[in-house]
Amino acid sequence: MPEPATPPPLSLYVHVPWCVRKCPYCDFNSHAAVGNIPEKAYVDALLDDLDQDLNTIIDRTIHTIFIGGGTPSLLSPNAIERLLTGIGQRTGMTEEREVTLEANPGTVEREKFSDFLHAGINRLSIGIQSFDDIQLQRIGRIHNGNDAIRAAETAEAAGFGNLNLDLMYGLPEQTPEQAVGDLCIAIDLNPCHISWYELTLEPNTLFHNQPPPLPGDDAVLGIRAAGLPVLAESSYTHYEISAHAREGRECRHNLNYWSFGDYLGIGAGAHSKLTDTGKQEIYRTWKIRHPRAYLENTTGTSRVAGRSKLLQQDIILEFMMNTLRLTRGFSTAQFTEATGLPVSRITPTIDEARSRGLLSRDGDLVHTTDTGSRYLNELLLLFMPEGSARAGTGMG
Amino acid sequence: MTDISRIRNFSIIAHIDHGKSTLADRFIQVCGGLSDREMGDQVLDSMDLERERGITIKAQSVSLNFRASDGEVYKLNLIDTPGHVDFSYEVSRSLAACEGALLVVDASQGVEAQSVANCYTAIDQGLEVVPVLNKIDLPSADPDRVIQEIEEIIGIEAHDAEFVSAKTGEGVVELLEALVSRIPPPEGDPDAPLQALIIDSWFDNYVGVISLVRVVHGKLAPKDKVQVMSTGRTFLVEKVGVFTPKRSQQPELSPGDVGFVIAGIKEIDGAPVGDTLTRTERPADSQLPGFQMVQPRVFAGLFPVNSDDYENLREALHKLRLNDAALHFEPETSQALGFGFRCGFLGMLHMEIVQERLEREYDLDLITTAPTVIYEVLTTRGEVISIDNPASLPPVNHIEEIREPIIEANILVPQDYLGGVIGLCVEKRGVQKKMQYLGNQVSLSYELPLSEVVLDFFDRLKSVSRGYASFDYHFARFQASRLVKLDILINGDRVDALSIIVHHEVAQARGRLLAEKMKELIPRQMYEVAIQAAIGSQIIARTTVKSMGKNVTAKCYGGDITRKRKLLEKQKAGKKRMKQFGKVEIPQEAFLAVLQVGREK
Repeated sequence: MPEPATPPPLSLYVHVPWCVRKCPYCDFNSHAAVGNIPEKAYVDALLDDLDQDLNTIIDRTIHTIFIGGGTPSLLSPNAIERLLTGIGQRTGMTEEREVTLEANPGTVEREKFSDFLHAGINRLSIGIQSFDDIQLQRIGRIHNGNDAIRAAETAEAAGFGNLNLDLMYGLPEQTPEQAVGDLCIAIDLNPCHISWYELTLEPNTLFHNQPPPLPGDDAVLGIRAAGLPVLAESSYTHYEISAHAREGRECRHNLNYWSFGDYLGIGAGAHSKLTDTGKQEIYRTWKIRHPRAYLENTTGTSRVAGRSKLLQQDIILEFMMNTLRLTRGFSTAQFTEATGLPVSRITPTIDEARSRGLLSRDGDLVHTTDTGSRYLNELLLLFMPEGSARAGTGMG
Repeated sequence: MTDISRIRNFSIIAHIDHGKSTLADRFIQVCGGLSDREMGDQVLDSMDLERERGITIKAQSVSLNFRASDGEVYKLNLIDTPGHVDFSYEVSRSLAACEGALLVVDASQGVEAQSVANCYTAIDQGLEVVPVLNKIDLPSADPDRVIQEIEEIIGIEAHDAEFVSAKTGEGVVELLEALVSRIPPPEGDPDAPLQALIIDSWFDNYVGVISLVRVVHGKLAPKDKVQVMSTGRTFLVEKVGVFTPKRSQQPELSPGDVGFVIAGIKEIDGAPVGDTLTRTERPADSQLPGFQMVQPRVFAGLFPVNSDDYENLREALHKLRLNDAALHFEPETSQALGFGFRCGFLGMLHMEIVQERLEREYDLDLITTAPTVIYEVLTTRGEVISIDNPASLPPVNHIEEIREPIIEANILVPQDYLGGVIGLCVEKRGVQKKMQYLGNQVSLSYELPLSEVVLDFFDRLKSVSRGYASFDYHFARFQASRLVKLDILINGDRVDALSIIVHHEVAQARGRLLAEKMKELIPRQMYEVAIQAAIGSQIIARTTVKSMGKNVTAKCYGGDITRKRKLLEKQKAGKKRMKQFGKVEIPQEAFLAVLQVGREK
């Protein structure tokens, strides 16, 4: 029997599936809240969900918590506090733990920022998207540019030293000047993290059916080329496809995803990824998706809707889908540790990708080239198994 | 068993849309071959493709029992014939099994060229031709004019033509009576050694090869040991029977009968169409006159997208060839596409059908290269070689002259559309040989290069005449012409599978259009794709497919992974339809870009 390896670090994701209104570009599990959010029942359900999950996990430390959505800032500070206290009682509390809350910049949410901090949130991620009122309207956001600036200022004043601003580019008919303008306003607000990502049309969204007049591929490339140096000049390091951070301020929770770490997901439709080090197997599970069904599930029973074991081929692909998003890539040791596979399994593919100028290898470190990061999907296709039979066992 | 004097073997000659299938269905219904419930639309067109396209590709047969007014029951064997110009060969096969034919003409549209050609084939083979005017229930029906057309254009008596409406059923019984009285019964000696003509053969996954035969002399029954006369191979007959149109087993087949034979033949070339079956114990002296082998006119390369499918493609082609004697193929190797087959077809429709059957029935992903005709090349050393592949054209300095196949086309067109049709023929480098006014129609005869005809002539003819013009053609001769090879270069490399042979006058224009079309068809990818058209070393057109700049998913967090994976799987599936050529991926359609160029002009 081989000695069981150390399991990878574990994070906790908490999904809050409600929004005031569904954005036309959003393909996440979010639902327009009708009337008041049943927050007491939902927090109870989340903690019960966590209890069920913890039954299957022995003695593992949770390093980060991320409360995402939807719009989790719709919850009251009390509810957040009760949730975090409950999580703390079940998993132990540590000072260093990164606890992120996603927040919208609207007036109502802003007023809660200070209380969120006191409830135990130590990192805030605000969905600014743009500071341009017209653009915000076109992409169906309910706040305006002024709200966005005020939100960042309020967070700062409340004491959120660890602040992320989400910005989109490639907005309808956007010029490079407009996009850089948005970036400059964000940089002036001096957050330690900026997520700057391209608006894309995802299936099952309103925009997919009724596409807005997005700039063409070349125009988007122009925007990207104009924006990246602006971020770099202000000491934001480009550490992932769409993530930029001041030194030491990378999002640890997301870094864990992108390093192929383990995570527990609680809440409606949340996904978990867990490594069974004893058997060298990786499982994905997902919870009941619809908020009502999730809530109606009785206490003390599992809310798992499905579970699948990753095939060896899938493990390789998903490892790459995550780690190659990072500028630093991965080390061969990390590959073996996370997948249980020898690096020789992927050496031919790495060499092929290198010959196409998509990957670089410096000793043990493998990372994308500039071309590789722009054509990450092309690169990942090299790691995709021929024929794509999926192993999955739905559980209801 | 039916007395031979009460058998009638006949075909229906009709232009597409003139109501052949509907009439056949009426016959089946009147004779009680199928219950109303079983009468799906157009029973005889049984191949999926045939129904979808509303055409008949393969010979089919049905045996019907008809009680005539003389009180006797007659066995009527209807052998169906294809109606498209590509398949005239199949027509002569079907007619070889008959003593008579119904010439069905639309009573308002009048005679069409295809029917003329098929009717001559029937007359050549000594068949009794009975003219039938269909769709007489339509207000636009003009029987007198159409009778005159039949007499003037085809030259057969038509004053006693039968009038029917297959749609309403009017005149159908009377037509069957006429068929019995006008078409002679077959002749044959039941006691002579067996001679049975193989009209068609096809492969059935459960019983092996099924052959449709016409017994000329002798008898054929289960447990008979039979021999295929050309190959000498022997088989034990398992089952014989007729189509009603359901497969109905019979104790034996006698002279005059048209029915099926199953003889445990597993090899797909065991029962060649046109061959003669005889009995091993008492063989016949000679084979029946088979059919004249047709030469394929259009050639194209078929390559599997996935090179692992090469053997499957070979197997599938063998199986198709069993009941499609006109399909030719031999291995071909392309620098760009790897191993595949150079296939010969009767025409474009035939090519499309073969390709579609391979993809549908055999689940193959194929790349078809631009179709070409066969050229003759006189080399500087005085040799004459046949070229069915532009890639195998000798170097220019070894060529004395290139000769292209010329056909003689007979076109029938209503006067109103004459101008458009003549314009089309001129554009296609045609030379007028004859023009004759016949009633409301004009009969045109043109000599045209086959290469101009195979691509899109048929479609264009239909469109300039609103569907009213019809045509038929036959090969005339090879003729020297100023032809050049047009090459396509992708990122500077010549792609052999994209070369075409064109007339020098249109080469420049064709090259430009082709390069533009390729640009539309090749998707943007990681690298810029330079497309050039060249004649020899001279570049005549140049376009570029710009690089797509990026292909990356903006967001990917924990729970997203399955959705993002699906996105990748979709991209992967898209690539499966493309052929990797160096760094560039070329989609299947691009290899047929030359066809689309013609269609848009």
